[in-house]
This record gives sequence, C-alpha cells and structure tokens, in this order.
Amino acid sequence: MQISNVATIFKKEITDTLRDRRTLIFMLLVPLVAIPGLMMGMSKLMISQISRVEQESSRVAVIGQEHLPEDLKAAISESSNLEVYYYVGSEEEEQTRALTEGEIDVLIVVPDSFATLIETEQPSTIAVKYDQAEIRSEKAEERLEKILQDYQDKLVLNRLTQRDISAGILEPFDIELEDVAPMQKLVGERLGAMLPYLIIIMCFMGAMYPAIDLAAGEKERGTLETLLISPATRGEFVIGKYLVIVTTSAIAALLSLGSLVFSMTYMVDQLVAQLGTMMTLELEPKTVLLVLLVILPLIGIFAGVLLSVSIFARSFKEAQSYITVLNMAIILPAFVSILPGFELDYTFAVIPVINVSMIMKEAIAGSILWHYVFVALLSNSVFAVLSLLFCRKWFERESVIFRM
Amino acid sequence: MIQVSALTKTFKDKKRGLVRAVDGVSFTCAPGEVYGLLGPNGAGKTTTLRLLSTALRPEAGTAVINGVDVSENPQKVRSQIGFLSGNTGLYGRLTPMEMVSYFGRLYGMNTSLIKERMDRIFSMLDMHSFAGRRCEKLSTGMKQKVSIARSVIHDPPAMIFDEPTTGLDVISSRTIVEFIRQCRKEGKTVIFSTHIMSEARRLCDKVGIIHKGKMYADGTIDEILTQAGCDNLEDAFIKIVGE
Ligand SMILES: Nc1ncnc2c1ncn2[C@@H]1O[C@H](COP(=O)(O)OP(=O)(O)OP(=O)(O)O)[C@@H](O)[C@H]1O
Ligand SMILES: [Mg+2]
Repeated sequence: MQISNVATIFKKEITDTLRDRRTLIFMLLVPLVAIPGLMMGMSKLMISQISRVEQESSRVAVIGQEHLPEDLKAAISESSNLEVYYYVGSEEEEQTRALTEGEIDVLIVVPDSFATLIETEQPSTIAVKYDQAEIRSEKAEERLEKILQDYQDKLVLNRLTQRDISAGILEPFDIELEDVAPMQKLVGERLGAMLPYLIIIMCFMGAMYPAIDLAAGEKERGTLETLLISPATRGEFVIGKYLVIVTTSAIAALLSLGSLVFSMTYMVDQLVAQLGTMMTLELEPKTVLLVLLVILPLIGIFAGVLLSVSIFARSFKEAQSYITVLNMAIILPAFVSILPGFELDYTFAVIPVINVSMIMKEAIAGSILWHYVFVALLSNSVFAVLSLLFCRKWFERESVIFRM
Repeated sequence: MIQVSALTKTFKDKKRGLVRAVDGVSFTCAPGEVYGLLGPNGAGKTTTLRLLSTALRPEAGTAVINGVDVSENPQKVRSQIGFLSGNTGLYGRLTPMEMVSYFGRLYGMNTSLIKERMDRIFSMLDMHSFAGRRCEKLSTGMKQKVSIARSVIHDPPAMIFDEPTTGLDVISSRTIVEFIRQCRKEGKTVIFSTHIMSEARRLCDKVGIIHKGKMYADGTIDEILTQAGCDNLEDAFIKIVGE
C-alpha cells in the first residue's frame, strides 16, 4: 500500500466526482437550498394557517335559544369573535349535519327550561358539539367553553355571596405547578426527532451517486479494466475510492446539519414571534460535535456498503436498482427508531443506523449517554472496517469484476 | 518478447456451466513484430489478452512478457504493457490532459516525465487543440486518440490491442493502424486481436487462428495459406475454423 498512489487516486476521483451534476445536487443543492426552502415554507404555512383561524370569527349555532338565560345570551352575542345563529329545538338534526359538513364550527344545544333550572339551582346539562379534527372547530369550542366557564364562575360566586360564604372556600389552598423539563427538552423531543432522520438520509444520499459512479460507472464506461492492469494495487483503488465517497457524504452531512439547525432555529423564532408559543431550540456546540462524531463511522459503513454493491453491479442502472432497495433498509430503521416508545439500550446501541439515530435524538433532547455512545462508535467502526475489507475482497475477485 | 505456452482459463457460467474460454493456447511474438489473434465471436481472444494483461489470472500454462511471468509477478508485468481495446472508455468529466497524466501517475511516473511524454504523444497524434476540453465533448476520433495516448504514456515495451477498431470509421481506424505500425517501428512487441481479415493481412507479421479456445493455426500469413491450401486469408480462416 503506497500512500502516494492512494493520494493520486483520491485526487483524480474527487475532481471527477465534484464535476458530476448528480453528486452536486445531493451534496450541495439539497442541503443548501431544498432543506431550508422546505422548512421555511412549512413554518410559513403553519403560521398563516394558525393565524387565520385566530383572526376569523367562529360560526356558532345555538339550538333552543329561548331557554338561554338572558345574561348568558348577551355574553355569547356580544363576543367579538363569534358569529352566532339562533335556532329552535326542532333544528338540532339539521345543524348537526351542518357541523359535520363544516358549515358551522360549533353547536350548542340548550336543554328545555335551562334558564329556570339555573334560576332554581337545579342540575342541568348544556351540550357543546364540535369536530376535533377541524382546527377551526377546535378553536370555536375553545372560545365558547371560555364564555360558558366564565358564566359558571359568575353563577357560583353569586350563589356563595347570597349565602354569605367567602369564595375562598372553593380553593382551600393553591397548587403551584412548575415544569422542570428544560425548554430544550420539550422542543427537542419534537424537532429532535426529525433531525437525526434527515441527517442520516442526507449522509446516504451524499454517498450514493459517487459510489455508483466509482465502480459500476467504471464498468459501464469500460475504464475499470485499465485500472486493474495498472501497477497500483486493488487495495489502493478501493481505499482511494472509499475515501472519496466518505468525503462527499461527510460534506452533505455537514451542510445538512448546518442548514437544518439554521432553518429550524428560524422556524422556532417565527413561531414564537407570530404566535407567542413557548419554545426554544438551542443546540449546544457539544451536541453538534457529538452528532458529527457519531455520524462519521456511520458514513464509513454507508460508503463501504454502497461501494461493494456498486462493484458487484454490472451497470449504473443495476447499481441504482440495488441501492433503491438498500435505501429502504436504511430509512425504515432510522424512522422507526425515532418513534416515541423506543428507548436506547445496549442492543440498539450495537445496531448501525438505529444506534446513531437514537443517540442523536437523545442528544438533541439534552441528554448524552456516553456509555451507549461509546458502544455505538465501536460497533459502527467495526462494521465500517468490515465493509471496507469486503469491498477489497470483491475488487480482487474475477467473478465479481468480470461478472456476466 | 511475449511467450505464451499452454495458457488455459475456465469460467463458471450460470447457464452454460463450465466454459473453457482459453484451452492450451501457445504462441510467441518477438519485439518489432505484430502478432494477430484471429477468431470468430466467442473464440477466446479477449480472454487470452486479459490473461496477458494480468486482468485475469491463468488457470494453467504460462505467459512471459519481457522475461516476467504473469502468474509469478503480475505487478511487474503491468508496467511492461500498454492495453487498448475497442470497449475502453474515457472519464467524460476529465480532460485528455488530466486523464493521461492520471495514468502516468498510476504507472509511477513523475510530473516532469509525464509532461514530457504527454507533450510528445499529443504532438504525434495532433491532440493539442483539444487537450484541455472535457472528454465527453470530444468526437469519437478524438476520443480514440486519447485512449491511444493513455495506453502508451508509460512507454511500455509490449502493446496489447483487443479489437481496437470496432465501431470506428475509416479515418479513426486509420489512426489506430498507423499507431500500431509506429509501435512496430519503435521495436515494441505488439499483439492484437481482430476478426477483420483485411486488417490482419495489412498489419500482421504472424497470425494465430483461435476458435473455441483452441489455437488452430499459428505462423506467418504465407505459412497459414500454404497449410490451408488457399490463396487468401479469408478462405483459409473459414476452412480452418470450419473443420
Ligand atoms: N467473465 C466471464 N464469465 C463467464 N464467461 C465468460 C467470461 N468472459 C468470457 N466468457 C466466455 O468465454 C468465451 C470466450 O469469450 P471471449 O470474450 O474471450 O471471446 P472473444 O473471442 O473475445 O469474442 P468476441 O469476438 O465476441 O469479442 C465465451 O463463450 C464467453 O461467453
Ligand atoms: Mg472480445
């Protein structure tokens, strides 16, 4: 093994690869343009949808309006963000249909002699119907519930006052809730779940085209044979090519991480500014470094596996179709492992892809479990070396190189 | 000097089982000589040449190139030969200059030697006008010249051509033929395979007729004609192969 030969091969292959449009798309365009574009578009859409619902008034249908106490009726009618339609009892069926079809947002059914029952302090039930699957309807219910709750509080207070009882009797003591989960953890749980998944995919995508081109592509062009009969050894070719794949994949990962963190921060800032939602996204440098650390051996595995598939394939197309299947085999575990309910343990820490996605998820949520990180790094490095050795074995095998 | 004796190679094929692509082939070719390997499709020409070029390892028999045995020291054989086939492609996104100097480096040449050799070859083949353009943008004839330059950048004493003119027009074929003549003049040992009889007649000092992996006739063209009792190579070829 001569370093100078590996350097020659690396230099040539990286020049060649960086001139390949397909590689550039996955290495530069997707991380730098597509990801931020998608994220910003998503946050714009979310904000505009939420604020539209916030601004628009809710359409309320009241059935049995004649039974409403006057002061409650006034409170409902005067509410600025409600648009109220009153109906008599016989229209309940019709209005329920209107609700399910989205013509109105919420439906109140006032029982017979409701006002009298309230007056005489007897129990009664007022029904509020809404459609939880509709964001508009949910908002309408929220608004209406507030009015009803206020009315109820007022009634209770009146009744207590009439009986000369202090309102304090209802709450003998206060309960003060304090959420100790750091903000990072709350948001981390949500955004963090997405980040590892996206980064793993980007590593794979960044490695994919160079890998196909560097072996199957050489077979297709008929250049592979000229390499095999040059004095540089097969091991030197494999290492040179492998390093090129690792490089492009690492660049794609690095750019994607930067771009994701940037656009997620932007997204969170927008949401906070527009909606006053409480959330923050703060990735400490330590977390980012950890992500890079765990991603590197994984890239090593991707490069080795993709390169060996590419060496085996007879043509560019054949390599592509194998890799489509491989893609599934990687994306699925990466996705499943970020679903709630999966907890990192030693078994998961040993399995490539799954270990990295779970460690990243935990790290972004604010906890780094070093013993698992260590196990995962070790395991993935072993797999990466094995995949590289496997590439060399295949590169030396006539029946693979000259497969017919 | 290339000495081939009893060279044999068997492939495992999924459908056909064991295929003996080369079966005890022997011949020799001296420096300054062009040896033509003639044979129909599937005769075993490419396989024979791949054994000589060390792309494949022989199963039995030997091939000695410039005194080095391909089985014993393939690494050393590699710097002794230049290889060009009709199917050899180029790196489309590299320029001829980058492409040729890459191979120069792989053959262990230093930068100044590469530059000097490349300059000489590019002048000889009249390549300077497109030396900096990407290979994918070149015409077939230009590409062929780049392939030639690539195959001789390390100035090998032996050249192996596998059907080098397939798919080329008359003018590009002429370039190749001229190049083979040039190699002979420089005293290189040249082996080339073809199934085009006229090409063999024009170029070869000696020919070997190979069929189903076996060598059926080996000698100068006159010897072959006498042996077959024919007055042209094509008839002789068909007679020998058809038997
Ligand atoms: N890698 C391989 N695997 C299996 N069989 C092979 C392989 N390479 C060649 N063969 C078989 O060996 C035989 C000789 O093939 P070869 O390519 O050497 O012939 P050829 O004389 O070059 O033919 P052509 O004129 O078509 O190029 C054929 O039957 C071919 O199918
Ligand atoms: Mg052939």
